[in-house]
Amino acid sequence: MPFDFIPIIIPEEDWEEIETGMKQRMNALNMFLDDLYHDQKILEAGVVPRELVENNPYYYHRQVGGVDIPLANHIFLSGVDLIRDEHGQYRVLEDNLRNPSGMSYVFQNRYVMRQVYPELFFNHEIRTLEHQISELHDTVMSHAPKECQDAPVAVLLTPGSYNSAFYDHMFLAQQMGIELVEGRDLLVQDDVVYMKTIRGLKRVDIIYRRIDDDFLDPEAFRPDSTLGVSGLLGAYKKGNVAILNGIGNGVADDKAMYVYVPEMIRFYLGEEPIIPNVETYFLSDPERMDYVLEHMEELVIKNVGASGGYDMLIGPQSTEEEREMFREKILEEPDRYIAQPTIKLSRAPAYQQGRMYPCHVDLRVFVMNGKEMNVLPGGLSRVALKEGSLVVNSSQGGGGKDTWILRKGGDGDVK
Amino acid sequence: MLSRTADALYWMGRNIERAENNARVLNVQLIHMLEASDRTALDRDWKEVLEICASYADYMEKYNRLETQTIVEYLTTSPVNPNTMKNCMAIARDNARTTRDILPAELWEVLNEFHLDQTGLREDGGALSGTKGYLKTLMRTSMTAQGVIESSMSRGTPYTFIKIGKWLERAEKTARVLNVICEKELRDKGTSGNSYYYWLAALRFLNGYDAFIKENPPTMASGEVLDFLIKQEAFPRSIAYGVSHVREAIIELEGGEVRHYSARLFDLLETVETDIHGTAVADMEMEELMEFLDHFQKQCMHLSQVFMETYYLTPPAAVR
Repeated sequence: MPFDFIPIIIPEEDWEEIETGMKQRMNALNMFLDDLYHDQKILEAGVVPRELVENNPYYYHRQVGGVDIPLANHIFLSGVDLIRDEHGQYRVLEDNLRNPSGMSYVFQNRYVMRQVYPELFFNHEIRTLEHQISELHDTVMSHAPKECQDAPVAVLLTPGSYNSAFYDHMFLAQQMGIELVEGRDLLVQDDVVYMKTIRGLKRVDIIYRRIDDDFLDPEAFRPDSTLGVSGLLGAYKKGNVAILNGIGNGVADDKAMYVYVPEMIRFYLGEEPIIPNVETYFLSDPERMDYVLEHMEELVIKNVGASGGYDMLIGPQSTEEEREMFREKILEEPDRYIAQPTIKLSRAPAYQQGRMYPCHVDLRVFVMNGKEMNVLPGGLSRVALKEGSLVVNSSQGGGGKDTWILRKGGDGDVK
Repeated sequence: MLSRTADALYWMGRNIERAENNARVLNVQLIHMLEASDRTALDRDWKEVLEICASYADYMEKYNRLETQTIVEYLTTSPVNPNTMKNCMAIARDNARTTRDILPAELWEVLNEFHLDQTGLREDGGALSGTKGYLKTLMRTSMTAQGVIESSMSRGTPYTFIKIGKWLERAEKTARVLNVICEKELRDKGTSGNSYYYWLAALRFLNGYDAFIKENPPTMASGEVLDFLIKQEAFPRSIAYGVSHVREAIIELEGGEVRHYSARLFDLLETVETDIHGTAVADMEMEELMEFLDHFQKQCMHLSQVFMETYYLTPPAAVR
C-alpha cells in the first residue's frame, strides 16, 4: 500500500467522542448478534425485518444457532470505517465485523513516520501505539474456553502466503507471539482441535482466524474449501475451541443491515447513537427506488454484499452508460442495492511526486473487545491518491496515512 | 513448532545451500574451460558439472548436445530444470516468506532483494560476463543470508532446522562430487596424467582448496584429498563435519535423550559416523571407494528421509 507522509491529526476531544461512539456501536452490534443466534428478541419486536436476516447469505443459524461462546462475545476485533461530512460531523460508513484487515499498516505507518520525521514526535504530544499489541494479545487470550485448564494456546489461522492480507496475518502473529497456522496444520479429533508440530499433536484453545466463515470447515460450509479444517465447527459447538471473530458475523455488517444499527443502539442500550450513519435508502422500497432512479447522478449506489469498492456507482463521476447499466441491475434485483447521498467527503492534503494536493480520506477505527473494550488510538487513515477519486481501497489506488491523536494539553503547535 | 514451519525452514536451508554450491561449481567450470585442452576434455568436464548440479541424463534427453550457453542456462534460469539456481532461490524465498514471523527481518530482505534484482537478468543473460555477475551475486547472497542467521538468530529450534538442512545438503553434495570425480578417474585409469586436475577440481568445487593446501602438500594425491573431504572434521564441507553437526544438533533438540520416536534417527546417525571413521579412505582402491561413496550417498539421502519422518515434516504442497 502506498504511503503518504502528511499525517491526519485528530484533537483529543473529537477522538473521545469517536471512542465512546465506537464502544456504543460495538456493544449494540454484539448484543444484536448474540440475540440473533439465541432469542431473536429484536425480530420479535419487529425492529429489524425478519426477512432481511433470513435472506442474508451470511446468516448461519443452522450452523451456530444457540451456541454459547466465551464472554458471549462475537466481535473480538472490528474495523469501522468513518468519514467526516461537510459539517465536520464524523459518520459511520461501514462496519467490518468479520475479518477487518489493515491493523499492521497502522503500526507500519507510525514506524515509517518515526524513521523519516523523528523531530515531529518531539514537538507533539501524540497518543502512543506501544501497548496496543499487548492489549490485542490479552484480548485474544481472554476468550479461552471454560474447560481450558492450563495457559490457553492461541493461533492465527491464515489462508496462506498468497492471500493479499498475508502481511497483516504475519505481522500480528509475530507481534503477539502466537503460531501462524494454515488449515492443513490443524486437525480435529473427538471435537478437539490440534496443531501438527514436530513433537506431534498439540491442543489449540483459541483460533484467531482470518479465513471467511464459508471456508472454515468443509463439512459445515463449502465442501470445496481446502483452506479450512474438517470438524472445526463441531469443536466450536462443543465449546472446546474459541473462534475469533465469531462465526456468522456477516449478517450484521452488510450494507443493508447497516441501516438498522442506530435502531439496534436504541433497542438494546436505550441510547441515541453518538456517531450517526450516512443516510441510506433501500431500493426495495418502490417510492425510494423511483427517487433514486431519477437522481442517479447525485447518489452513490452500492451492492449490499460487495466490498472493496466493487460493484458501486458514484453518481457525479459516472457516465450515461454506467448509469444505464446500474439502472438495469437495480430493476432486476432491487433488494441487492442501496443508495446514499454523495457526501462531501472530508479532504486532507497529500504529497506525492513533488506536489501537494487535496485527497479524499476516510478512517478505519479498530475496536478490540474481550473482558474490556479498547479502541486503538487513531486507526488507519486511507486516502484516495488518484486525484478527485472517492475510492480509498488499496486495491484501487488508495494509500495510507499515519493518524495522530493529540493528547490533552498538547496544543499542536510546533514549539 | 509447527511441522510445516520446520519443513519450510529445513528446505530453505537446503535450497540456499544448493544454489550456492551449484553456483560455485559452475563458476569453477567457467574458469577451467579456458584451459581445457580439447573438445573431448571440455565435453567431459561439462558432463561432470551437469552430473553434480542436476542430471546429465535429463539434460541430454532435452537437448542432446553439449553446448556451453545451453548448459549455463539449463543450470541457472531455465524453466525445464527444477534444480536451477533461480528455482532454488525462489523456493528458499517462498519458504522464508511463509515463516517471516520467526525469521530475522534482514534474512527475508536479503532473499527478497536477490529475487527482485534478478527480474532483469534474462535480457543480458546471453553474455557469459552476465552469468559471472549472477553467480557472484548468488554466492554473496547465500553468504549474507548465513551471516544474518548466525549473527541474529537465537539458537533454538528454528535455527536448528535451518542448519540441519544446510549440513545435510552439504554432506550430500560432497558425496556427489566425490562420486563423480572417482568415476571419472576410474574410467581414465592409467591413460592420462589428469588425476591431479580432477582432484584439484573437486577441492575447488567444494571451496576446499585453500584449506587443503594449508595442511597437505599440493600434489593432489587422491587419498589425501578424499581423506580431507570425507573425514576432516575441521573443514565445514567435509562429510564428517556435516554428519557430526547434525548429530549434535539433534541431541540438543532432544535434550540429550533418545525417545522411541527418535531412536531410529540416532541409530542411523551412529551407523553413518562409524562408516566414516571406520573406513581407511586413503588406502582404498578406486573400485572399493566408488562402492563406499555410492553407499554413502544413499545413506545421506536415507538420513534426510528419516529426519523428515521423525519430525513429521510435510511435503510443501497442501495435503487433503
